[in-house]
Formats: sequence, C-alpha cells, structure tokens
Amino acid sequence: MLGYRKGAARWVAALGLSALSATAAVAEEKYDVYLSMSYIGNDWQAEAANMVKALASHSNYADRVNLQVQVAGPNAQRQIQQINAMVQAGADAIVVYPISPTALNNVVKNACDKGVVIIAYDGEISEPCALNVTIDQLEAGRVTAEWLVEKMGGEGDVVMITGVPGTSVDAARTAAAKEVFDQHEGINVVGEAVGMWSQAVARTEMSKILATRDWGDIDGLWMQVGCFTANAMQMEAGIAADSLLPCAGEGSNGGRVQMLPAGSEVEGAGGPYAPLSAPRISYASPPYSGALALKLAVDKLDGKDVPDLTTLPLPIVTSETIQLCETGSWEEQKAGCNAFLPSLVSNPGWFASIFSEELPEVGLNAALVGQPEP
Amino acid sequence: MSGADITLTASTARKTRARRSLARNRPVLVALAVLAVLLALTSAISPYPLSYFDVSFLASGGATTALAAMGQTLVILSGGFDLSAGAVVSLVNAVLASQMDPTNFEASVPLWTAVGIGVGMCVGAFNGFFIAFMRLQPIVVTLATMFIIQGLTLLVLSKPGGFVSPSIGAAYMGDAIPNLLPASVVLIGVVILFWLWLKRTPFGLALYAVGSDPEAAAATGLRTNWVVFFTYVLAGGLYGLAGVFVSAQTGSGDPLVGNSLLLPTFAAVVIGGTRLGGGKGGLVGTVFGAYILMIVVNILLSLNVSAYYATIAESAVLMLAVLAGSLSANSPLAHKLRGARDYLSARRKGMLVSQRPKADNRLIFATGAATPDTTLPSFWVRNSVMLRYTLPAFACLLIVLILTQVVLGNVFTSFRYWDALLVLSSFLAILALGQGAVILTGGLDLSVPWTIGLSGILVAGIVHGSNGALIYAVPIVMAVAVLIGFLNGLGVVALGLSPIVVTLAMNGLLQGAALIYSNGTPDGFAAPALRWVMTGEVFGLTPIIPLLAVFVTIAVLLLSRTAFGRRVYAIGNSETAARLSGVKTARTLIQVYILSALCAAIVGILLTGFSGQASLGMGDDYLLPSIAVVVVGGALITGGRGHYIGMFGGALLLTAMQTLLAGTTLPFAFRSVFFGLVILAAVIALREKRSH
Repeated sequence: MLGYRKGAARWVAALGLSALSATAAVAEEKYDVYLSMSYIGNDWQAEAANMVKALASHSNYADRVNLQVQVAGPNAQRQIQQINAMVQAGADAIVVYPISPTALNNVVKNACDKGVVIIAYDGEISEPCALNVTIDQLEAGRVTAEWLVEKMGGEGDVVMITGVPGTSVDAARTAAAKEVFDQHEGINVVGEAVGMWSQAVARTEMSKILATRDWGDIDGLWMQVGCFTANAMQMEAGIAADSLLPCAGEGSNGGRVQMLPAGSEVEGAGGPYAPLSAPRISYASPPYSGALALKLAVDKLDGKDVPDLTTLPLPIVTSETIQLCETGSWEEQKAGCNAFLPSLVSNPGWFASIFSEELPEVGLNAALVGQPEP
Repeated sequence: MSGADITLTASTARKTRARRSLARNRPVLVALAVLAVLLALTSAISPYPLSYFDVSFLASGGATTALAAMGQTLVILSGGFDLSAGAVVSLVNAVLASQMDPTNFEASVPLWTAVGIGVGMCVGAFNGFFIAFMRLQPIVVTLATMFIIQGLTLLVLSKPGGFVSPSIGAAYMGDAIPNLLPASVVLIGVVILFWLWLKRTPFGLALYAVGSDPEAAAATGLRTNWVVFFTYVLAGGLYGLAGVFVSAQTGSGDPLVGNSLLLPTFAAVVIGGTRLGGGKGGLVGTVFGAYILMIVVNILLSLNVSAYYATIAESAVLMLAVLAGSLSANSPLAHKLRGARDYLSARRKGMLVSQRPKADNRLIFATGAATPDTTLPSFWVRNSVMLRYTLPAFACLLIVLILTQVVLGNVFTSFRYWDALLVLSSFLAILALGQGAVILTGGLDLSVPWTIGLSGILVAGIVHGSNGALIYAVPIVMAVAVLIGFLNGLGVVALGLSPIVVTLAMNGLLQGAALIYSNGTPDGFAAPALRWVMTGEVFGLTPIIPLLAVFVTIAVLLLSRTAFGRRVYAIGNSETAARLSGVKTARTLIQVYILSALCAAIVGILLTGFSGQASLGMGDDYLLPSIAVVVVGGALITGGRGHYIGMFGGALLLTAMQTLLAGTTLPFAFRSVFFGLVILAAVIALREKRSH
C-alpha cells in the first residue's frame, strides 16, 4: 500500500497535477486559494470565472496566489463536499459562489474554525464568519421598478418576468419591485411568469402571455432577464423602433447595444443585436464580484481589514448614460463607457457590467478570455 | 447410507447454497468491491492519510443520497418509479426549518425526526393511494406529486432561510462513539437492519412477489394493492428521513435543496444492483451505490479533472458498475455473443432459414381459407380503444380552453391564441413522437435533454447566422443524432441494460460533449431562415405550423400504418412474442432510439431558431414534459398501448395550461400545484376500470 501510494504520488507529480514542480521557496510564500463555482455553462458564471483567473494571473497576484478552480454543479451537497475537500487540501482562502445561502453554513463554520478565509460572491452565505461580496438585491428591484413607473407616467399595465423561484435573489428583487408597483394605484401587474434568468425561457413565457394579449395592451416590462428578447419580439411583431415598450431589466450586452441611439454605426451589429434607442434601465449583479472577492481574500490574508459585507455599487445604465466602448480596456470603461462592440462580444446575452473602480487589473479581455490588463 | 456419505451430501448442499447465495448477491458484492477500490484510490491520491474526520465527513456527505435512494429502491423493487423523491426531501427540509422555534437550541430530536418521516409518509400515502387503489401509472402520479410538492414547499418556505436547531445537527452529524463511529453510519445501519428484518416478513416477500409478477402475486391471493400502498408510504418515510438529515447537515432550510437529488438516486439504485422493473435487488447495494457516486466526485476533485469531464466520468462509472454487476454466462451480452456465434456457424453449414430453398411450404388449409366477411365494423367500433385513451386529453384541453376564454379571453375570438399555442406546442409534439415510440416499446429515453442541447449548440455554432450553412449544418446535426440513437439502441439491445441506465449515461456523456464543444459558453446564433420558421409569418401563420401539420400526419401514419409501427407495438406488448413471430426486435429497437434522438435533434434546432441562440441546458425543461405528454395522451408506460393523436393532444393540453397560468398573476407556488393537479386529473380520466 505504501509503495502504491508513493507510485501514485510520482504519477501525480509527473502529470503536473501538484505544485511540486514550483520551487519550494516560492511555494511557501504563495497563498493557496480555491474557487468553488456553482454550475458552469452560462455566460455570467463563465465571465466571473474568467475574471477571477485573469486577476490571479496578473503580475500583481501571479507570484502570490496559487489559484485552483473547481465546479460543484447545481448540487449543494456536492459543494459542501468540495469545500471540505479544499480545507483538507490546505486552502488558505476559499472563494465561493454559493449554491445555497444556508446549506453551506456548517461546512463554512468548520472551515473558519480551521483558520480558512471564506468569501462568497454574488450570493450570500448566512454563516456570520463568512465574508460576502454582493449587490443590494432589494435596491435593484426597487430602483428598476421606480424607473419603470416614472417612464410610464405612473399608470398602465406591467408584465413581470421573474427569476428562479425559491432563491433569495429572486425573492428580494421581485418583492421590492412589487412593493413599488403596489404604491402606485395606476399601475397594474397583468401578467407574471417565471423566466429562470434565461433569454430563451423569457421568450417562451412572453409568447404564452402574448397568446391572450396584444403588445398594445402592455405599457411596461419588468424583467430580471429578457429585455433584449422582448425588444426582438416587438420588432418581429412589426413594432417600430421608436415605439418599443420601456423595459427594466438585465445588463446583457445585447440589451445595452439596443439602448444606443438608432442608426449609430456599430461594428458587427445585425438583426435584433443593433442600436434601437430602446427605452431601458439596465442593471445586473456584476460578474466582477468574484474577482473582487479574490482581491479581498488576499487582503484579508495579508492582514488588512476587510468588512464582513461588501455591498457593490449597483451598476445602473439608462438610455441617458449609455456609451459605446471602442476596445473595452479598464481605462476606457473608467471614462464612462458601458457597452461593447458586437464584433468583440458576439453573444448578445453576455453580461456587460464588468467595470469596478477597485480592479484596474481586469478589463474586457479578462471577462472574455481570462486575460488581465497589461 | 454411511455416515461419510451424509456428511458429503450435507457439505455439497452447503456449497451449492453458498454458490447460489453468492450468485444472488453478486451485484451487491461487485458494488462493494468497486467502492473499496475507489476508497483505496482516494486514499492513495490524497496528500494526507485519510483521518477519522475524513471518513466521518464522507459518511455524512453521502448519507442524504443514500437514504433517499433506499426509499427509491423500495419503490423500484415493487415495479414502480418515484419522481417525487427529491421534492419530498425539499419539503421536509422546508417544514423543519420554518416550524422550529428559533430560540430553542435544544429541540427534541425524536420529535422532529418523527415530523420529517411523517410528512414524507403522508406524501407517500398520497402517491400510494393513486397508484395502488386508483391503479394509475406510478411515473405520472409521482410526476404530478412532484409538481404539487414543489409548489407546497415554496408556500411553506418561499426562499432559503429558517432555522434548524443545533441539537438536530449534533445528533446526526456528530459521533455515536467519538473517533470511531459517526452517527450517520449508525443511522444508515439502523435503516439497513430494519430492511433486513422487513425483507423476511410476509410484507417483504410480498414486495418482491409484486415486483416480479403482479398478476401471479394477485393470483396467489396477495392483496397487492395494500403491498404497493405501504411500499410508497415506507419510501416516503425514507425520503422524509433524508430530509431530516439534510436539515441536520445544513442547519437551515432551502426550498430547492432536494431537487438535484432525483437522478443520483436512480443511479445509486442501479449501481447497487437493483433491477429497474422490480423484483430483484435490495437496499444494501443501494447504499454502496450512493457512496460510489460520491467518492467518484471526490476523486475527480483531488485529481483536479476539468469540470467539463465530470459528467462523462460519472456516466462511465455508472455504465461500468452496472455492466460489472450483470456480466455472467447468463447475461444478455453473453446470449447475444452466443447467438452471433450460432448464426455464423449455421450460416457456414447452410442451415439458416433464409438459406433454405424457397418452396411454398404452407399447409393446404392456410392457403385456401375462405375469405371472411369483408364488411368492416363502423368507425367507432374499430377505433373504440384508440378513442377511449385519446379523448381524455382532448376533453381536458377543451376545459382548459374554456377556462382560458373565461379568465383571459381572446381564445375563440382571435387566431393569435391558436398561433401561439401551436408554435409553443410544436416542441413537445415533436418530442412526443420519439419519446412516445420508445415508451411504446416499454423503454424510456432520458438522453432527450442533452440531445436537444448538443444539437442546438452544434447548429448555432456551425451556421453562425448564415443561411447557406444550414444546408450542411442540419445534416451534420442529424447525423450526430443518428449516432446518439444508434448507441442508445445498441446499449439496450446488445448489452441488455435497462433503457433508463443507458440513456441516463448517454445524457451525461452528451452534457460533457456539449460543454467541451462550446467551452462553457455557446456562441454563434441561428440562421435568419431558421428564425423565420419559428417567428416569421406566411399567410398569417407562423411557418412552423404547416410544417407541424405535415409532421403530425407523418407521425400518425408511421406509428399506425407502417410495418415499423406495428413492430413497435408488438415489441411493447411482448418482446419475446414479437421475436418468435419473426420481428427483428433488435433492429426495431435501435430504430426506435434513433427516431427519438432525431426528434430531439429537430427540437434542438427549432428551439435555437425560436430563441435566436442556443444555450447549455436548453433541453432540461423538456424531459419530464416529454414523458408527461405521452402518458397523458393515453400511452401505457410499460409499452404496447397509445396513439400519436393522443400524445399530440397531451402536448396541446400541457401548453394550453401553461399559457393559461402565464396569463395570470398567480404565485408560482400555486401554479405548480395546479399544474400537478391537472396532470393527475387527466390520468384519472384514463383509468382502467379494473386491472387485468
């Protein structure tokens, strides 16, 4: 058995699966940081992971952080197991996209007790010893609903497309938006469907609602994800670009490009993925939160003071503040641009809220391909 | 007879008995061996020796799946199928987390465990009542229950939160004997002891009897309906216990926590050597199966295998474990190999039937039989069975339509409703042909979701918005689908594995393939022509609608007017009888799985056209509905009965119901309950008056 284990160790080393190849001295100083993701295979998760990887490979961090990425899928049981395996493997910090805000509490507590820094991004972990990086979901729901009410002049019929039922994020956003709508007597919510945070589902659900209603019967749309699709559907139904319905919704690049003044020259634009002067407010849980969590984890390991809850500024873009980026570098985004060329970002569902004051290491290329700013 | 002889006979008898018991427990022993190997591997590749803490953590990490899978095993042993398992786990977690007093840190463990088990048993009794006494098909009843329970769970706990007393956590996550025996192991041990006792009771025997042959069991005087009823109640209790355990593990509630448990429970049952279809297997193997699944994950983690390959590795383990458990001189694979050898040798000797001289050997009376009266009975008489099972779907559809007209209007006055209804049902209507044909042969195709996903991603990735590229993109996708279907069919026919295992493993492989191909984020978008088919307009119609009409006509003709269709029904009624009557069953089965994969691929392409893009997981929402429409449309899940028109009605019914619900502002929880109730109502209308 002993010989077997030695053999296996050699095999593992030969495949480069362990850090043994690095010189011992450097390995001593590097922090072992693990990233435990949820499901892979949607744009948001991929961008977040790319940005984390980009930050870890930036010259500010490359010599100090040894990053390993693992994916748990949608299964909380597996994430529990995974976090524990990371603790066993000697992690200094674990950056987590929590599948459930509550299910991880015990394993996180156990990790904290062993001195591991646990930091969650986007979703929250309710165990008090965990650090959290997130936006205020209630505010997101409230601000977008208020914008819509104002845009509709305080009266009319609203259709709501919500997120994944049973999650804290969806519950907070939807409840806050409904509270705003309830305060205005003129506003009626006439249809509500579950959109699962997917453009494809949003289209199916909108088609069902439109089976018994006309676009003319609706005055405003409040969608957690789906404004891009809703605008495309209105174009298909023969509605002119200047009479598109106001839509409060997600921060996809497709939706942002649609907000640009109709007729502007945009490289790579085509079909519904083109400037339409769409009346929109665009918000998102920003995908850079994972990278920021990594930065904060390293700060914490360095002994700096890190607050238990980091509330990110809500990235709000309206038809008034929309501005196209040429290259998407961090410098350019700092100057105020917030939408990217379709020739660079071919997928309209891709999330465009990637700018953070605190992360000059990552720009568009970080989110697209995991490459840090020079 | 001398004393020595007697000893000899006794020892031979003992040996025979030992051998027989070994043969009977082979799948369990194989599962145990696989588990041992994997454990050794984990310990070999981990940088630190396995400590008691690791073992204890592994034990509690797999306990939830193991407990739920044990419940599933009971149901499967009785010949059933339970889709509500994961939903019950969530419900119990939600009930416990929302009902416990947040100030009481010393809540009673026996009391709350009993509450959890009790809630589970109530759901089990609901399932059991409809399955045992109303004689409805388990898969639909539990599907309806799943929707109802998911809705109720959200009513109990609308978002993650709540409180589970630390005393529960300490009791289940702690140690029974410090540094020697984790409490989770004791819990599973207690359930296993209960099972070993139960197995020897009259109920246990009856459970196996009902699962092996319900008619024979009823004929010997067993009260089969009570046996089935209590099986579901017991299974519900075990899901409840799993829910209690999850609550202990997480210390709070999450209304979605159990939903991802459903497929792993099936995999655990199958790896543990229990035969899908009933009558063979047991709970002990299932426990090993559950832990095998968990340790595979750990090994992938410690080897740092890319997550893209995780589902592929898990599928491979599933297939290998099941194959290892079933390989023997009597296994279907061995039969097939022997058959092929016999065929070749017969062919060499020129003794095959097809090689014999083609003289007319019919008996005299067979050729000269008098032509019977050619006047056909009336349409209604000829088609009474078909109508009996297809009309309920349409009757329910009519009710939903009237309800929609009352609540939302615009149904009978505007064509737009019908346009939207037909476009949205086209996906399910197409899937119903493939899934329906598979179900008619007595199988089930679980690889539908990722066949849809992979096809959509391939077509979007290849065409990249160009119409011209469709000319080769569509054939490429179809060719991939033929390959998928062929491999599914080959697995079922040549390896003799249950269709559920083969297609579940295939689904995992395809998921991995889709992730690798798209590198996690599918890009490219549908060609304008494809978008036009799903969202354009021709003579006031969306172009897919005339195409759908053609598809429905072809589907009806294919299943009811061709030799292929008749073979499908023949296999579903009895594969053996079909083979003995000269049906090439293997070839037909493979064709059926190819048909199903092709239908799923068409849906993938159309969905991409509908949304303009493809996304990973776009097929996930279509698996259970594809089964539901087939069964609601009057098909029997065990095969042999059903008509495509009914399935088409089922697709319309489900879509009309979703349309009605989407037009209201009812909370999602109520919609889910309502959806489940309508499915249940539709199948109650299909109920057999008495069992045969």
